[in-house]
This record gives sequence, structure tokens and C-alpha cells, in this order.
Amino acid sequence: METDVLIIGGGVTGTGIARDLALRGLNTILIEKKDLNAGASGGNHGLLHSGARYIRSDPEAASECQIEQAILKKQAAHCIEETGGLFVAVKGDDENYIQDFPQMCEQLHIQCEKIDPKKALEMEPALSKDLIAVYQVNDASINPFKLSIENMNNAISFGSSYLTHTEIENFKIENNKIIYAGARNKISGKIIKIRAKTYVNASGAWAKNIAAMAGINVNMVFSMGSLLVTSQRITKRVINRLRMPTDGDILVPGGVVSILGTTSIRIEDPDKIYPAVDEVDHIIEQGGQMIPALKESRYIRAYAGVRPLVSMGGDDDDREVSRGFTLLDHEKNGVDNFITITGGKLSTYRLMAEKTSDIVCKKHGITQPCKTKTTPLPSTHDGDWSEPGVFIADSIDSKTFHDSYLCECEMVPAKAIDRVIDSIKRNGGSPNLESIAVRTRVGKGTCQGTYCSVRLLSRLCDNKDYTAANGLNDLKLFLNERWKGEHPLLWDQTLVHSSLKEMIHCGLFCLELDEQ
Amino acid sequence: MKKQDITCDVLIIGAGFAGMAACARASELGLKTIMAGNSSQLYFASGLFDFLGVYPLDPATLLTNPETGLDLLKKEMPDHPYSKTGLKPILNSFDFIIDYLRSAGLEYETSKGRNISVLTAAGTFKPTFLVPETIKKCQMIKRNKNLLIIDFKGLTGFSAKQIAARLKKKLNSIHTLSIELVPDKTVLPPMHLASMFENDVFLEKIAKKICNCGCQADLLGIPAVCGINKSLNILTKLEKMTNLDIFEIPMMPPSIPGLRLKNAFEKQFAKQFKKKRVQFLSQTKIRSQIINENEFILNAVNQNMETRIEAKCVVLASGRFQSGGLYAHRKQIFETVFNLPVHQPEHRNLWHHRNLFEKQGHLINTSGIETDNVFRPVDTNGSIIHKNLYAAGAILAHNDWTRLKSGSGVSALSAFTAVNDFYNSHRPSADNSNYEK
Repeated sequence: METDVLIIGGGVTGTGIARDLALRGLNTILIEKKDLNAGASGGNHGLLHSGARYIRSDPEAASECQIEQAILKKQAAHCIEETGGLFVAVKGDDENYIQDFPQMCEQLHIQCEKIDPKKALEMEPALSKDLIAVYQVNDASINPFKLSIENMNNAISFGSSYLTHTEIENFKIENNKIIYAGARNKISGKIIKIRAKTYVNASGAWAKNIAAMAGINVNMVFSMGSLLVTSQRITKRVINRLRMPTDGDILVPGGVVSILGTTSIRIEDPDKIYPAVDEVDHIIEQGGQMIPALKESRYIRAYAGVRPLVSMGGDDDDREVSRGFTLLDHEKNGVDNFITITGGKLSTYRLMAEKTSDIVCKKHGITQPCKTKTTPLPSTHDGDWSEPGVFIADSIDSKTFHDSYLCECEMVPAKAIDRVIDSIKRNGGSPNLESIAVRTRVGKGTCQGTYCSVRLLSRLCDNKDYTAANGLNDLKLFLNERWKGEHPLLWDQTLVHSSLKEMIHCGLFCLELDEQ
Repeated sequence: MKKQDITCDVLIIGAGFAGMAACARASELGLKTIMAGNSSQLYFASGLFDFLGVYPLDPATLLTNPETGLDLLKKEMPDHPYSKTGLKPILNSFDFIIDYLRSAGLEYETSKGRNISVLTAAGTFKPTFLVPETIKKCQMIKRNKNLLIIDFKGLTGFSAKQIAARLKKKLNSIHTLSIELVPDKTVLPPMHLASMFENDVFLEKIAKKICNCGCQADLLGIPAVCGINKSLNILTKLEKMTNLDIFEIPMMPPSIPGLRLKNAFEKQFAKQFKKKRVQFLSQTKIRSQIINENEFILNAVNQNMETRIEAKCVVLASGRFQSGGLYAHRKQIFETVFNLPVHQPEHRNLWHHRNLFEKQGHLINTSGIETDNVFRPVDTNGSIIHKNLYAAGAILAHNDWTRLKSGSGVSALSAFTAVNDFYNSHRPSADNSNYEK
């Protein structure tokens, strides 16, 4: 295969670069070892930061967030809910930090308005009665799955393509240049060679491994953050704790649920992450200080993501290592056509893509300026089913009511699944439980895949593009992926649902005995 | 709200399989019995009666003869409910239930003393002990058989192709047929489809489609929706029409074989109700309780009735988390009616394994109520809580039924033993009839 630019990594940065370069006339292939947003782009808060969180810990990142959120709200509006946000302090919080907050915001041009705690309680009744200070900011929630799907679709419309489940195995380097990349499809086992003029390493936490294949050392540390999904939306707005960033101090609404996080734990291997029981309890205790209902709330899922941080050496607290991004042109390491972009945050993905694409364009002699700042991201509907509650709106508009729900918790109808299968196939992917789950709400509701996995599997088995013989393996992988997120939350109703899951899948189907 | 006062010999709390079994036994023994609970959990029951399917768990050993596993289990797991009695009472309790259901018109295959493998909708085989007559012919699956599996468009979660793909290696010849009764993508709920099977015209239509599919099969597997009532009659009719041996394949809930079980028990209880022996307080929750030396006084509430019950004996068969017998708070597990001590792991960290399909099972599944040898709950010192308070079924500790495939056996045994024990210690001395089989 041949292309102008090979992009490694299918997160928001990689897909963002694909679109940016496509808009400037370059052809790209994006390859991803798992599926879209399998790394940190899928394991985050879905928060479009106003920037206020970082005013003290990282003013540069704060400023970038402030500029980027305004651009994204304009150009990618269909991926964003403009919820607004509050910074709240409760009794016992650091008074100096509270006092300096408005001034620090002002210095960085971050909009912030003081709110009387009484009024704040009217705005958000779930807040603690112990509020001592509240500020309103421009936070918003953003759907990173939809964002990546739409960025990729837009790039595809200009002739780019992407390969999922395809992993880079080696680079052939001659005369200070990568000549081709060797990659392997993890499902079919097929080996391919991709020749490109330029190679962009946008693999997030895995950037170190990819760079190492080109003989380059990128010194990285990994900080894991865990998040909890509540069964209901608890607040209208994003709620931040008004203090130096620490654990369990942000609650972000995401459609019909809320997401509480996060933590910062140094880990060694970004492939081995999971939220632990103690961590979950810690997040709940912390979050409960600003929103007491969180202590008794029902949680349906926990997940973790890895922040890739480029180390400046030393054993600093990870929260003090810059949350800003790192862009490395490896020309100075002796590989002229290789670039690494890592670190950063969801809120600044577009800027990261722009800066990376600038270097690529320079190498290609292209003078076209970046267009993503001013060109709206088209909506293709392929990402729609990743949004909670879409079917309700859809069924009201539609005259065909005769459609079965494969996922009853999240109301995903069979026709949506068929559409998603088509879009996966169109892009050269192979439909299976996991690839459908990435693109829809399937398995994300209260039953966490207990019923819909079986219904989806039987529907897939009737589809000629699916190898039914792999079905149970696929089912086990899918259920265990769900389990990872249920595991630390199994009490009260969530435990009831997991008991049912075990009853069906182990008690009846005996999947634990299945060796294949 | 209406109020009533009733007295009884035995109050059974819970109307799942264990509660039903206890109620059946108590009423058969002539005890005045009240069952309070919500029988809807039987929609989740597969209708298969497990005894002991797997032991040891890791590496998993599928048992052909449950007795072999039982001997080892008794040595290694002295706290398991089976370790409290011998083999005989377990078999007796199964026999009793099979007879009882048969008299209600629900036929189970008589035990041959060993486990059988039942084909499930996932295409896997589940080891179990007793099966409804409508399922038993899955034992005929052999390499030289020409098997046909059918599914119905709209019956979600059941794909003949999926099952066939799994069985391909085991059989020389396997075919599938997908029957379209409704337009594509319309849902056909199992309950609805099952009631359609009760119509002869419908049955003939299905038979014709099977006969015309041209696959020369000699054995037919169909989803377990072959009628709600008289399922064996319907299946036999279909066998005659198609000239095939037929078996049902259990699928995920709502389970029609589970519903048949519920109906059969309730039908028998209704007969007993006329004799004023059994009263079923449905959809009922126990609100408060007083325990005296010789009686229990409980307040039971449902939507339109508040009932004050005076009972000599209570059998707690309220199940686990799903049916609300146990409740898990973030830090501790509680028993919800009497606040009995619950055997449980020390910290939530230990409740579940990281792998859902861990062979050893999850530690939380061994939590529950610990009892003496006749299933009376005990406190942490091992002393019984009350001489006439019993626990039966899934609420018992040390039985991970999802892994051991031992759910129905433990329910039947504990219910049967508990009721017999109360009966034997309370029957008038003049009565010499021996009810313990």
C-alpha cells in the first residue's frame, strides 16, 4: 500500500490529523492496533475544558483549552453539549485558592462569573449544602467517539482510509528515512507493507513503543485515571471542585448519565489498566463531598484511561508533569520523515493535529494553512448511535415501528446495528461484538451486555460477513470487557444485574467451561 | 388497605424453586402452609434440574456421575449444603418434586442416576441431572445423526446458524432452517411464540415448512417455546407430523420451561388452597417480624392487603441478590428479612475475580446463610438462631451454583430436609406414619 502519510493511532489525535491533512490535500492511511478510541481517547471524562482547572497547575494548557473550546463549539457543535460548568468549594477547602481563582482566570482570559451559593443550589440542587464559593465557567461535554468517527469519515470523503486491528511491527529505515512500515492484521494475520512519504506516530501511550521501532527513545511515564458512570444524569452542568486538581473532583454530564472522576496513579504498562475497588471507593468519597448524592448513587460502569506524559525526568507528582502535548520531529534523531505527537488532552486534540500537520506539510512542501479552525466538521450520522437516547428521537420521526431492539437498556434497534455493520464493512473493517460496541450504545446500559450480547451475536451469526464459529469467543471477550468496568462497582443494583449475567452466561450457557 | 390475620404451621418466605419445593412438601405432609413472595423469578429458571455438574472446579471436571463428585466435595467442602446429608435425601427430594410436578401435568424424565448434557442456545452443552421430557431427546445427538435446527425470525437471541457453527465438528450432518412468521426485524417474544404453538393450525404450518426444507433430517432441535401448557403433547404432535425426533433448546430468559414450572407448582397449590392447606400471598414482602419461643409473628404486605401471620415455623427461601433475599451494600452484605448473620468475604476487593469466567468462581457466590445439618441458620458461634427457623435454596452459603451446577439440587434438598425436620419434631406422637422416604 502507498500513501502520502501513514498515521499510527486511531484516537482523536490520529483521526484529527487525518482530517487536517485531508483538508490540505494530502492522502493518508491511518492504522490502529485495536479500534477507534481504544486508548485514552475512549477512556476519558468527555470533558471540553474551559481551562479553569489548570490555571495554577499548568497555565499554558489552561490557555490552550480556553482557545480550543471556543473553536470546537463552533466547528464540531454536533459532538458537543454546551452544558456550562461550575467550580464549587465546600467547607474546609483551601481559601487562598478560592480567593485567587477569579484573578487567575482573568489573566488567562477564561470567562468566570461568581455565583451566590444559594443560587448555585437552585441551579444544581444536587450540590452540597456546605458550599462556600461557586464560579460559573464555559465547560462543556464532548462525545469523543462521535468526534473520532466524524473526523475519520471526513478524511475518508477526501480519499483517505483506515485499517483497524492492524499493528505496526517494524520500520524499514534506509538513509535516515523510513522506507516502509510492516504491519500485521491481528484478526486475519495478514502482513502488509505500507509505503509513505511521512510517518506520524500518534499512538498516545504507545508512542514510546512505536518510536522505539525506529530506534528512537521517547521517555514517557503513564498516569492512569479511573472514572465512574452513574446510572442517571445527576447535574445539568459540569461540576468541578474549586481546589488544586486532585482525585474525584469532576462530574461531567454525558447525555443521560454523569461521569465522575478521576485519579492519577503512576503505572508501568498502559495495556494493563483497570479501576480497582479501593480506587472506586476513594473517588466516591471525594465526589460525595461536593455532591452528597454520589455516595448513594447507582454506578453502572467504571473505566480507566492512561494519560501519556512525556517525562522531564525526576519523580514529580504526575499532576505536575505538564498536561500539555509533546510534538517531536525526529529529523533531529536522524529519521527525517518521522514525527511523534503525544500527551495533551481531548480538549486540545485539534490544536495537536494542526501543529503536527504543519510539520508534515512543511516536509511535503505544502503551504496551505490549517483549515480545521474555520471549516465545520460535517455530520455523517455514522457516529449517532454512540450517543445515548438517539433512538427515541429517531423512532418519533420514523413511521416504521416494527423494529426490534437488540439492546433494550439503551434502545438500540436492529436497523441501527445493520447500519453500523454496513459502515464497518464500508471502511474495510470486520463486524464483531466489540467493533459494534465501539460505535453504538450496545452493552453500555444497566444490564451491561447480559442480554444484548446474545441478541447481537445471534443476529451477527445470520450475517454472511461474520464467522459464526468464533461467536462464543467473541461473546466471552465482549462480556469480559464489560466486566472490567463492572467489577469494582458490584454492590446494590449493579450486583443484581451481574448476578443475572452470571446466571445466564455461566449457569446456563456454561461459558466458563468453554475452551476454544 | 385491607387487613387479615392468619395462622399457619409453616410460613415459607420466597416463591422461587426452593420456596415452591418447601411449599409442596409442607402441604403434602398436611401442614397448614403459607407461601409469601414473588414467583416471577422462575421466569429466569432454565427448567433444568442440576444436581452436581462440575467438581472439582479447576481444572473443571464435568461429572457423568454426580455421586463421584459428591464424595470428593464432601471431603473438600465440609460446609457445602450437600455435605450436611447423604446422597439419598438429595435423590429423594428430586423424586418427590418430579412426582409432584407430574401430578400437575409437567413431565420430567425419570433419573438414570447420572448427568446428561443439554444443548443450549449458545451452542454449548450444559451438564444437568433431570430435564423436562420435551428436552430429553438432545441426548440423541450423535455423530451419525442428521440434525436440523430451526429458528424463528424475530425470536432474538436464538440463531440456528450459531448453534450449527458450534456443532459442526461433532456431527457429520447438520442443517438449519429459519422460519419467518413476521416481517424481518419485528420482535417475536418467546411467550407469544409459545402460545402460538398451542394452535394446531399453526403447528401444521410449521410442520409443513420443516418437511419441505429438504434436508432429510432425523433429529430436530427447536427453541424452547413449544407451548406454555401441555408442551409434551404439542411436541409429540409435531413429532408425528414431521416424523422426526424433537427436542427443545433452552435459551436465555424469559424462559418458557421456567414458566411451565411456575404454572405447575401454582396449579397444585390452587388445589390445596381449596382444602385450606396452602395459601399463596403473591407479590408480598415481609415488613416486620417478632420471634417468640414457639411462634413467629410477621407482617406481610402486598398492594392491597396487610396480613398478620402467626407461624410455628419459618422457611426462609428468599434467594440471593436478584430476588432480594440478600442485599449488598458497598461495604457489607445483609440478609433482608431477619438480619441474620451472613457469611461473606472480608472486603469487597475479594467479592469478584477479575475474569468473569474464572473457573473457581467468584467468592461472593459462596456468601450466604450458614446453617446446622437440618438447615437452621446459625450465628457466628454455630448456635441455632431459633429451633423452628430454616433457610433453603440459593440463600445458603458455600454453594456457588453457577459453577458447580448445583442450584436445583441444593434448593430441593434444603427445602425438603427443613420441612421434614419441622414435621418430624412436631407431629403428634400418635401419628406413626413415616413421611421420610
